[in-house]
Amino acid sequence: MDEDFSSSSSSRQHFHSHGAAVQPPTSSVATAPTPPLSTSSTAAGAAHALFEPADLSFPPDLNLDFSSPASSSGGGAASSAAVGGGGGGRWASQLLLECARAVAARDSQRVQQLMWMLNELASPYGDVEQKLASYFLQGLFARLTASGPRTLRTLAAASDRNTSFDSTRRTALRFQELSPWSSFGHVAANGAILESFLEAAAASSEPQRFHILDLSNTFCTQWPTLLEALATRSADDTPHLSITTVVSAAPSAPTAAVQRVMREIGQRMEKFARLMGVPFSFRAVHHAGDLAELDLDALDLRDGGATTAVAVNCVNSLRGVVPGGARRRDAFTSSLRRLDPRVVTVVEEEADLVASDPDASEEGGDTEAAFLKVFGEGLRFFSAYMDSLEESFPKTSNERLALERGAGRAIVDLVSCPASESMERRETAAAWARRMRSAGFSPVAFSEDVADDVRSLLRRYREGWSMRDACLDDSAAGAGVFLAWKEQPLVWASAWRP
Amino acid sequence: MLQGVLSRAPATDAPAAAAAAMKAKRAPASPDEEGDGEERPARGKRQQLLGLGSAAAAAAAAEGPETRGLRLLSLLLRCAEAVAMDQLTEARELLPEIAELASPFGSSPERVAAYFGDALCARVLSSYLGAYSPLALRPLAAAQSRRFAGAFQAYNALSPLVKFSHFTANQAILQALDGEDRLHVIDLDIMQGLQWPGLFHILASRPRKPRSLRITGLGASLDVLEATGRRLADFAASLGLPFEFHPIEGKIGHVADAAALLGPRHRQQQDEATVVHWMHHCLYDVTRSDLGTVRLLRSLRPKLITIVEQDLGHSGDFLGRFVEALHYYSALFDALGAGAGAAAEESAERHAVERQLLGAEIRNIVAVGGPKRTGEVRVERWGDELRRAGFRPVSLAGSPATQARLLLGMYPWKGYTLVEEDASLKLGWKDLSLITASAWEPTDAAAPTPRRGSQET
Repeated sequence: MDEDFSSSSSSRQHFHSHGAAVQPPTSSVATAPTPPLSTSSTAAGAAHALFEPADLSFPPDLNLDFSSPASSSGGGAASSAAVGGGGGGRWASQLLLECARAVAARDSQRVQQLMWMLNELASPYGDVEQKLASYFLQGLFARLTASGPRTLRTLAAASDRNTSFDSTRRTALRFQELSPWSSFGHVAANGAILESFLEAAAASSEPQRFHILDLSNTFCTQWPTLLEALATRSADDTPHLSITTVVSAAPSAPTAAVQRVMREIGQRMEKFARLMGVPFSFRAVHHAGDLAELDLDALDLRDGGATTAVAVNCVNSLRGVVPGGARRRDAFTSSLRRLDPRVVTVVEEEADLVASDPDASEEGGDTEAAFLKVFGEGLRFFSAYMDSLEESFPKTSNERLALERGAGRAIVDLVSCPASESMERRETAAAWARRMRSAGFSPVAFSEDVADDVRSLLRRYREGWSMRDACLDDSAAGAGVFLAWKEQPLVWASAWRP
Repeated sequence: MLQGVLSRAPATDAPAAAAAAMKAKRAPASPDEEGDGEERPARGKRQQLLGLGSAAAAAAAAEGPETRGLRLLSLLLRCAEAVAMDQLTEARELLPEIAELASPFGSSPERVAAYFGDALCARVLSSYLGAYSPLALRPLAAAQSRRFAGAFQAYNALSPLVKFSHFTANQAILQALDGEDRLHVIDLDIMQGLQWPGLFHILASRPRKPRSLRITGLGASLDVLEATGRRLADFAASLGLPFEFHPIEGKIGHVADAAALLGPRHRQQQDEATVVHWMHHCLYDVTRSDLGTVRLLRSLRPKLITIVEQDLGHSGDFLGRFVEALHYYSALFDALGAGAGAAAEESAERHAVERQLLGAEIRNIVAVGGPKRTGEVRVERWGDELRRAGFRPVSLAGSPATQARLLLGMYPWKGYTLVEEDASLKLGWKDLSLITASAWEPTDAAAPTPRRGSQET
């Protein structure tokens, strides 16, 4: 007789006897097709089992489509290719949303049934639907077992132990080769920064010094192009450029390794600057955790010279400012304003992952309604993200796997961890624009040249990517541009000045 | 991977190696390696395996992929033990580490570990959910069938296992058919029917074609069955063979009696020879009732039964099953790794096979209840069961064995082994037997009566 069934059913007896180490064997030979489960009911506080054992079947009210996704570029499939899925059956999103609703409604029978189905179908190594099912199921499971923060810590620790800072850098480089996801923001931001600096140089007869405060985690891949453009387009003498890049590596990443890699990156950039004939200095500052805690003044961006033009480059860094009471994100943007920069470039991923009022107290951020909203938005966003990864990378790519796992950690964070501690709470372009305005900034439209640069960038990649203007509200003329995948806007780039 | 460990282990025996390793300087330990060795209860050969695994991991001063493989092995075994002892919280702590070290796109130990790790993850979740049976659902069955079909074709190209099964069974059938004009093949799990075109070819090239040829195929989805039937009919027509196809949607264990299986077209008087064929796998439950199937076979008394079984035990407790499966699939992944080149296209093919077929099997084996995932009594070795049910082996020496050797000779990769044992043929990778092909006839079968009068040459 198969011991597995006796162990699973007797585990309930195990819980009742509180700590008996041996599994008592169950009774007879099973002749019925269903597993012979014990009839005693589970104590509500039982250590493992979340539900009464059940013989589950497919719920008749769900009409799921398991057809394979259509080929890339939307093929000829009749089903909606628009919403980030592959154009085929989007059973994972359906099941996951149903499950989230059931969780919010505390319908435990339904939850059990749906999670069982998801568990059967999910795989982190399957197609996009199976991957989504796998990662979101992991999040839901962490939520149900109230083990979100712990699960996230375990996942992050495993990743840190087994991934070097350098291999993370290589993954980022490969990502840029195959997808415009990060280079889109770089090209737009560089365009705005360069134009702002050159304007400053033209308006003054004195030699200019430029300083870029770089708050991003893309290993300075953004800057070589800017250096080259600066060299090419400066009128007479090329102005001096300093870059201070703030690296927020994981708290557990060995500092020595981070420093070594950043030193190498800095040396390479200095050499490149010399080749380009750009007077250049570079500094990497390490900061673990929330950027809001970074002392911006201590960075001494003006090197003591008042004529230094400062640009702040925020790529996916604003969302790293943990939301939650005391208007932390507004405080951060205000502190940027206090630096009196010539230009601030903001690149963020487009998703509404905060609760209704992101500045509300902790409790307000974690209601069931908030959970459902964030779940649905997260599902939409990460479906598109994973879909774009699937179509950009080769089938057997370890780099893509690493990126997917990173998304998986973000998903666990969003689905099962409190908002007040989360660094994944993206906001929409409209919301960020409101913040920038209230901090005393107004938008700078990207010039036609920059738009052209972005368009030619996109032509280097697979079909499916497009650029569109961000029309955020009536008064928002020219507040940035979106990078869209299959018509869905996913990354926002914008420029601001006081 | 396991074979690698055992063959590369120092010549000293495992306990001594473990003791030596304990004294040796430990490699930079991660938090989850702290002193849990003492708490683990001793369990015969498993302890040896575990001792070797963690000792090897602890003593791993050398860098390199071997370390990673050994570390994965150690983690997988510890995780499986935790699951076996219902320590699910501990199991959950180990899973992320396994996932990070593993990869479906890496070396063969890393790939095996990816699927076993994922299977353990699914199992842990189903234990929390209290729901264990597989998801059976018609729209899914059709989509699954298509996926399996594609993967099987790739599998067929990457490894000789599928062709071996087909060739040996077809040769055995051909031998048994000597003198028969009317043939009825019952395929207990026909899927895409990849096996049968080969038989049709052989039958069509005999001097005397059969007067009637029927195939009854069982499967989960009528749509898929009918498509298979149409394809086979087209092929038979192109060879000028008379052919009929009978689909049966469902599992053999549910079929009421032999008559239902033989169908109204069977006419005993005209000596239609019935052959039952079954190629085993762990992708899903084929019979629903193993004992019912044996009963049915006994009452059916086909002229020949051809079976291809995986040499993988499914009885015993979870941990034993896990260790054996890990050993088995490590060998299989090694074999595939040896076969497929580094070229992107080939590794994508191999990935599809590993993910859709082997990964699915691993999931089922690790799931509660093992591959059948029901509480049913399982037949362990069909050979033994058939003997008890009144069948005796038909030797595969001679033509089937010769065909098998020729087949292996066609493959460029060294490492596959062919063994004739008792009356059966075993195909293995290096020293591990992977599948066994055997053939059976009723014990009281008369010697075939040569019907010379009605035959023409």
